[in-house]
Amino acid sequence: MTKRIFRSICFVAVIVFLASVILFMGVLYEHFSNVEQAQLKMQTNLAAQGVTNEGIEFFRDLKVADYRISWIDANGNVLYDSKSDIAEMENHLEREEVKEAIAKGYGESRRYSSTLMEHSFYCAQKLADGTVLRLSISQHSIFVLLLGMSQPVCVIFAIALILSIVLAVRVSKKIVKPLNEIDLDNPLKNEGYDELSPFLRRIDSQQRQLLRQQDEILQKENELDTIVSSMNEGMVLLNPKGKVISINPAAGKLLSAKADCIGMDMLSLCRKLDLQEILSNALQGEQGERIISFNEETYQVDANPIVSENTVKGAALFFFNVTEKENAEQIRREFTANVSHELKTPLHSISGYAELLKNDMVKENDRIPFAGKIYAEAQRMIRLVEDVISLSHLDEGAADMKCEETDLYELAQNAVQSLETEADAACISLEISGIPAVVNGIPRLLYSIIYNLCDNAIKYNSEHGKVIVSVENEKNTVVLSVQDTGIGIAPEHQERIFERFYRVDKSHSKEVGGTGLGLSIVKHAAKIHNAKLEVKSSVGKGTTVIVTFPAHKKWS
Amino acid sequence: MRLKFDEQLDLLNKELIKMGAFCESAIAMSAKALTEGNPALAKGVPDLSVQIDNKEREIENMCIKLLLHQQPVAKDLRVVSSALKMVTDMARIGDQSADIAEIVTLANINSANDTQIIHDMSVAVIKMVTDSIDAFVKKDIQMAKAVIDYDDVVDSFFDKIKNILIDFFSKPETDGEYAIDLLMIAKYFERIGDHAVNIAKWVLFSITGNKEGK
Repeated sequence: MTKRIFRSICFVAVIVFLASVILFMGVLYEHFSNVEQAQLKMQTNLAAQGVTNEGIEFFRDLKVADYRISWIDANGNVLYDSKSDIAEMENHLEREEVKEAIAKGYGESRRYSSTLMEHSFYCAQKLADGTVLRLSISQHSIFVLLLGMSQPVCVIFAIALILSIVLAVRVSKKIVKPLNEIDLDNPLKNEGYDELSPFLRRIDSQQRQLLRQQDEILQKENELDTIVSSMNEGMVLLNPKGKVISINPAAGKLLSAKADCIGMDMLSLCRKLDLQEILSNALQGEQGERIISFNEETYQVDANPIVSENTVKGAALFFFNVTEKENAEQIRREFTANVSHELKTPLHSISGYAELLKNDMVKENDRIPFAGKIYAEAQRMIRLVEDVISLSHLDEGAADMKCEETDLYELAQNAVQSLETEADAACISLEISGIPAVVNGIPRLLYSIIYNLCDNAIKYNSEHGKVIVSVENEKNTVVLSVQDTGIGIAPEHQERIFERFYRVDKSHSKEVGGTGLGLSIVKHAAKIHNAKLEVKSSVGKGTTVIVTFPAHKKWS
Repeated sequence: MRLKFDEQLDLLNKELIKMGAFCESAIAMSAKALTEGNPALAKGVPDLSVQIDNKEREIENMCIKLLLHQQPVAKDLRVVSSALKMVTDMARIGDQSADIAEIVTLANINSANDTQIIHDMSVAVIKMVTDSIDAFVKKDIQMAKAVIDYDDVVDSFFDKIKNILIDFFSKPETDGEYAIDLLMIAKYFERIGDHAVNIAKWVLFSITGNKEGK
C-alpha cells in the first residue's frame, strides 16, 4: 500500500517538475534570445555609425566584452576582428548575414556550433562606403543552461522524493487505519468507509450462518455422544488399521481401557483370538459375530465393517451382554430335559404293569394292587402335567386371572385343613396362628403358595415334627410364614431350591414324592403378587419360609 | 524413512501381542483340559503350538530385517533385540503347553484328588503369562516387576506338589504313571512360569535398558 502510494506520488511530482522545467526553459529562452537579438541590432547600428564617423580609429578604444566585431570590406576581406587575427581569416563574402547586408543593407543570421554547443547571433550592416560591419554574440544552448542547473535540480528532486515518501507513509497509514481497526467479530458496529459496508454486511450474515451451523453440529454431536455413552452395549470404532477411534464408557469398562486408549491398537486392549479373528474379517469387509466370555460374563460381539464407496473405512465392534439370555436358555434346555425325564419315569411303570396285565401274568389277588399302582403313577403324571401347565401359565404372567381382595388367613386355614390327613399320616402336628389379613391378589395362586409351602414343610420334616403357619398383619405388609422343624437346607442349596426340578437330595426324591416344581410355582406366584420371598434355614433344625406381601390399600 | 521405521516397529509390536495371545490361549486350553479332565479340549493345542512356531519365525525374520535395513540405535535397538529374545520364550511356552496337552490326552490324570492344587497352579501360571504380556502391551515397569516376584508363588506350588507326590510314593499301592505325569505337568507349569519371568525381564530391558529394571 505504502509502496504504491509512494510510487504514484513520486511519479506525479517528477512529471510536474519536468513539465514545468521544460515549459519555463522554453519560454524564457525564447524571450531572452529575442531581447538579445534586438540589442545586438541596436549595437550594430551604433557601431556602424561609429565606424562611419571615425573609420578604423573607432575600434582602437573600443571595449567590447561579449561582442565580437568584424569589419569586412565589400570583397569579403576582413579588415578588423576583435577576437581573431585578421590575417588568418578567410573571405567572409559567403556568410549569410554578410550576403544579406550587401544586398539589402542589413542582415542577420543565427548559427549553431555543435562543437561548442553554442548559438551565435550575427548582425551585419552595410556602411555607406560599402563595407560591412558585423557584430556577433554567442549564447549558450539550452542544454548547457540546463546542465548548469543540474545541481539545484537534483536537490529539488531529492526533496520531492523525501516529501513523497513521508506523504505516502502518512497517507497510507491514514487510509489503512480504519481498515485495520475493523472489528470482524462485530462487523456491523464499525464506522469505517461507507464503501466497505456491503462487505461487512456479508461478513456479518456469513458469521451468523457459521455460528448457527456450528451450534447445530455441536448439538447433534452432543446427542450422539449422550446416546453412545449412556448405552449399555459396548461400542468401539476402529480405523482401517485396527486402531481405536472411539470407545464408549461401557466398552471401556468391559475392556478395562483407560482414557488414553484412543489411537492404540485393538490388540493392546483385548488379545482374545476370537475377537481378533472377527475383527480382521470385518476389516476385510466381512460381517461377523461371536459369543465371547469376559470375566465370567458372556458377551455377543458383533464386528461390522464400515464400507463407503466400496472400500472399508473401518470397523465397528458392538458388545452385547447375553449372560442372562444364555442362562435363561440353559435353564429352558434343562427344564425340557427334566420334564421329559420326569414324565418318562411314571410312564415306564404304567407301561410295565399294563404289559403284565395284558399278558395275563398277574395273579388274581395282585390285580387290584397293580391297578392301584397304575392309578398312582397316572395321578403322579397328572400332578406333574398340571404343575407344568400352571408354571407355564405363570411364565406368561397369569394375565387372565383377576386380582381381588382376599383374606390370606382364610386361605391358610383351607390349605391346612386339606393337608391334615397327610400330616397325620406323617405324625406331624400342623398348627395355624394369626389374624385375618386382607391382600389384593389371585386366590388360586395365593392358595397354591400356602399349599406348596406347607406340603414341603410336611414332606421334609422329621418324625413327630411341627409345622406352624402364621399370618401377621404388619404396618404396610402382610407376612405369611411357614415354619417347620425339619431337616433344613444347607446354605449352598438355599439359592437354588426355587429352580425347576432342583432337589437337594436327588436320591430320595421318589420316596418323598412331589414333582420338584412346587417351590418354583411359589416363586413365580410370589413374583406376580410383588411379594418378597425369604428363606431362613439351618441344617437339622428346620426351615422358615417368609413371604412378605404388600398390604391391600383399603378404600379410605 | 523414520515414518516407515515407525510403521515397522508398530507391526512388530502387533505381531508380538498376537503371538502372546496365542500363548495365552494355548496354556489356557491345556489347563482347562487338565482341570476338567476332558482330553478333547486339548486337541487344538498342538495346532496352536505350530502357529506359535510359525509366528516365531516370522517375528525373527522381521527383527533381522529391521536390524539390517534400519540399523536402529538406543531404544529402538533395545526394542528389536528384546523382541528377538522374547519370541524364543513365547515359543517355549507354546511348546510346553503342547506337552501338557499331550500328557492330558494320555488320560492318566483323572483322579480328582490332586486336581485342585494343579488347578490353582495353572491359574497362577496363566496369570503370570497374561501379566507379562500385559506388561509388554502397556509398557508397564511395575507390572513386569510384579510378574518376576510372582514366580515365587508358582515355585512354592511346585514344591507342594512335589511333597504330595513324595507322600504318594510312600504308600504301598501307587499308580506310578499318574504320579510321574502329575510331576511332569507341574514341572512344565513351573518352566512356563520361568519363561514368563524372562519375558517380563525383556520388557524391563526394552523400557529401561536394564534387565532388572533399575
